[in-house]
Amino acid sequence: MSFVPGQPVTAVVQRIEIQKLRQGNNLILGFSIGGGIDQDPGQNPFSEDKTDKGIYVTRITPGGPADVAGLMMGDKIMQVNGWDMTMVTHDKARKRLTKKNEDVVRLLVTRKSLEEAVKQSMGGFPRP
Amino acid sequence: MPAEVKQEQSPSNATSLAMMQEPQEVVEETVTIEEDPGTPTSHVSVVTSDDGTTRRTETKVTKMVKTVTTRTVRQVPLGPDGLPLPEGSSPLGSYTDSIDRRYMKNGNDRFITPQATSTLTRSYNNSYNDSYGETPESQYVRHYGLHDGYADLTDNYGSLSRGVNFRPPRYPYLPNSYRPENSYTLPIRKDDYGHVAQPQVPMGSSTVDLNRSQPERFQPEPYGLEDDRRSLGPEEEEPYELEPDYSTANRRTLPGANRGRTHREPLRDGPRIRGYPDDPIEAELIDERHPYIHGMYSAPLAQPERGSMASLDRMGGRRSPSIDSIRKDPRWRDPDLPEVIAMLGHPIDPVKSNAAAYLQHLCYENDKIKKDVRQLKGIPVLVGLLDHPKSEVHRKACGALRNISYGKDNDNKVAIKNCDGIPALVRLLRKTNDMEVRELITGTLWNLSSYEPLKMVIINHGLQTMTNEVIIPHSGWEHEPNEDSKPRDAEWTTVFKNTSGCLRNVSSDGAEARRRLRECDGLVDALLHALQSAAGKKDMDNKSVENCVCIMRNLSYHVHKEVPGAEKFQDPSALQAPGSVGPQRKKKDDAGCFGGKKAKEEWFNQGRKNGENDKNYDTLDLPKRTEPSKGFELLYQPEVVRLYLSLLTESQNYNTLEAAAGALQNLSAGQWTWSNYIRATVRKEKGLPILVELLRSDSDKVVRAVAIALRNLSIDRRNKDLIGSYAMRDLVSNLPSGQQRPAKNLEEDTVVAILNTIHEIVTDSSENARSLIQAQAIEKLVAINRTSQSARETKAASHVLQTVWSYKDLRNALTKDGWNKSHFQPTVTATPKATKNGKPGYDDTTLPLMEKNQDGYSTIDQRDKDCKYKASDVSVDLTEREPLKNDTNRKHYIRSNRPAVSLVDACDVKPQPVDSWV
Repeated sequence: MSFVPGQPVTAVVQRIEIQKLRQGNNLILGFSIGGGIDQDPGQNPFSEDKTDKGIYVTRITPGGPADVAGLMMGDKIMQVNGWDMTMVTHDKARKRLTKKNEDVVRLLVTRKSLEEAVKQSMGGFPRP
Repeated sequence: MPAEVKQEQSPSNATSLAMMQEPQEVVEETVTIEEDPGTPTSHVSVVTSDDGTTRRTETKVTKMVKTVTTRTVRQVPLGPDGLPLPEGSSPLGSYTDSIDRRYMKNGNDRFITPQATSTLTRSYNNSYNDSYGETPESQYVRHYGLHDGYADLTDNYGSLSRGVNFRPPRYPYLPNSYRPENSYTLPIRKDDYGHVAQPQVPMGSSTVDLNRSQPERFQPEPYGLEDDRRSLGPEEEEPYELEPDYSTANRRTLPGANRGRTHREPLRDGPRIRGYPDDPIEAELIDERHPYIHGMYSAPLAQPERGSMASLDRMGGRRSPSIDSIRKDPRWRDPDLPEVIAMLGHPIDPVKSNAAAYLQHLCYENDKIKKDVRQLKGIPVLVGLLDHPKSEVHRKACGALRNISYGKDNDNKVAIKNCDGIPALVRLLRKTNDMEVRELITGTLWNLSSYEPLKMVIINHGLQTMTNEVIIPHSGWEHEPNEDSKPRDAEWTTVFKNTSGCLRNVSSDGAEARRRLRECDGLVDALLHALQSAAGKKDMDNKSVENCVCIMRNLSYHVHKEVPGAEKFQDPSALQAPGSVGPQRKKKDDAGCFGGKKAKEEWFNQGRKNGENDKNYDTLDLPKRTEPSKGFELLYQPEVVRLYLSLLTESQNYNTLEAAAGALQNLSAGQWTWSNYIRATVRKEKGLPILVELLRSDSDKVVRAVAIALRNLSIDRRNKDLIGSYAMRDLVSNLPSGQQRPAKNLEEDTVVAILNTIHEIVTDSSENARSLIQAQAIEKLVAINRTSQSARETKAASHVLQTVWSYKDLRNALTKDGWNKSHFQPTVTATPKATKNGKPGYDDTTLPLMEKNQDGYSTIDQRDKDCKYKASDVSVDLTEREPLKNDTNRKHYIRSNRPAVSLVDACDVKPQPVDSWV
């Protein structure tokens, strides 16, 4: 799923709500992210379009909060608590996710399997 | 238009402005005036104006509160420092002071405390005798248990002498009663000496606690309030302020004032006593040379021979009468100002130093007294005391001068300068190793440096000394690095903060000042080293760093015109094609400039995907250096780009962010080889996304500095393409829509700066103009053009609109969106606008206004802004505006708060994608 900056994006998305886990002073979500507009998109193993600079889920801690909430490796994060994540730096994304004063993050994610599922059920989903 | 820069100081900008492309570039504004900050009120208001957001305001308020607290607390700390700490008694003294006040405020029940205080004086004797050997620390320990300490007190007294016995009953009176002594004290000194310490301890304890714990807590504030603090800090008096009476007090409110004084004096004296035998004092006191002593103090004086005990007796006698009677007692009164000033010339050193200390106290936040001191010719005397061999004397004189030099009344500063106070301060700085004295000296110089006409004087007398004595040693930089030793880190001491603040102020004094600073041996090297050390330690939010960056920014202003040998580097193409890059460079750039789409891809990963780009950059060879650059050359070496970018990424201090962006702005201005390199290096170091992200900053001035920096950077054609593609949305989102301001509510200057930046990037680039249209800017621009209350904004918006309309290939699209020529025509719109808004309307008339606005960059304004900034500074939004750290793995790697796992990942080879656990 790629997009051109400035153009509307159509994607099948899923809402995922993750309850952060407190470990000592840290609140953890239990996954890691890669990507961002300041990163080299060519190295993103998950993106279909190698120019996509979005934020992707790269790893999930088994049994961690993200795992429990249904987040999957390779998911592309579209929004975090309503904040756009398709055009942000890596660090910005990290910070949006790790705000100390928020116990819950609501993600909007998209993943290939979702699109395919929809496509099949609809008999051909128009690609954006 | 090459963005040339304009400046802080130069009104000249106006000229260039007229064109509208005022390149506002360089702002060297940073004059920090410490003094101004003095009034809390101003801070508050400033803040508000600074950022429109409520949040901020609140923050500010909080700060204010803190400040107040701080002051109280502060004193104490200062006390320890400022007072004769070395001798140990000083801490007590300060404590005492604060204690008294507290008691005063809180209540009467606490007589105990007062007693203690009062006792202190007497206790001096004790300390003198018993406690003599005690170190301040030990005292502290005791302090902690106030009440317990109490017991001690009594004990002490007992041990002290017989006099002790009386006291318990009298305690209640003591507070007042001792006053008399003190007041007289100056002359009487010896009595006080006797009293010093121990008893006090208990009392002090409460105070002590405050000092200890609080100072640290409040430290963070330094930014907004610093100035105040500076002056405040040193002055032990601050607390007094808090007291209601204080203002009126000096003489009339004897209680308040006296106390303060009293305490102090004794304290100070105490230490001294140890240092030198006091006996002589007594003898001297009697000495008739001093008229005051004679007349007024005769009563006390008569008894000197009796020794300390004698004083006790007296005290007892006096104390018995009720407070009121004491007050009325004509024999006991505070010396008035002329008397205090006369005491500065007293032959006995302790009298001198007490008088100076008292002056410092009186002057604290009291402009009237400062003025009176000046008119009574007290300043030359104080300056004369700076050369006094005894540290106690020059220290106190320095403290008094520091307070006198603080404030808006520039005449006081001039008076200090007129009696050669500046060279005297500098001389003392060279001579003394006493940290406290150095803090006072540099604090005074900082205060003085806020007044324009004194800046050059300070440079002439003190630049090299300040650099050699403070900046270099504290920066950790070494002329001849010893191979064995590791490079040292900078130490953020108060002395360094004060000195860098002073240099920051003087660095804004025009071309000559900049030249002197640039050529000052070791200064630039040391500042750079200090900043690099700050960046290395991720300690970039403090005031010292802010000062250093501001100096660097100011020194970077106009380097392309002012640096020796600059003409050799001038870009020959500049003349023919202003706004374009040098010929060689241009060619290369063109080769690598693939128009919009490709350029976009390069945006963040330049040189990675396209080997071609890499090559381009590499072939842009920097001039070969035969030896490492040093001195002012360091200012514009491409290596500094990384430093500024790391400040922009990591610092939370708005002033620092603004200054770092301003430095890039200055360096990327102008047409010379180095600015070409700088512009390319910013791109190569991935600085553009960092800057763009800062456009979202909540701080007006940060947004402004970044916008102007982007404008200068877009002189480089490739930067222009990238900025046009990727920064447009953020630029546009900062624009108000018509009269409705966006959440940020940016100042007019900022809006104009953004409009000018937009104008620059859409000029000669229809691609960028298209991005502008896509960012839905036209609606906003038209709205500004028609309805803005600001002529400058209107003007700037109409320039952008005209440029956009000039691209014929875009007109179709524009027309489709419902726009027509009239929306883009300034003349047409201007006329109606004038009538509509009732503004003076035509463009022609508005032009001059634009020029005026340039002043924004002038020093003076700057200064004001600076103050605001100070207030607004840092602390605010850690969460909100985290500067993005951009990618480089290294950074992530360094970041501390990440889980170990990510560290491991990040460690990989550089090109590896960053991956963060969350």
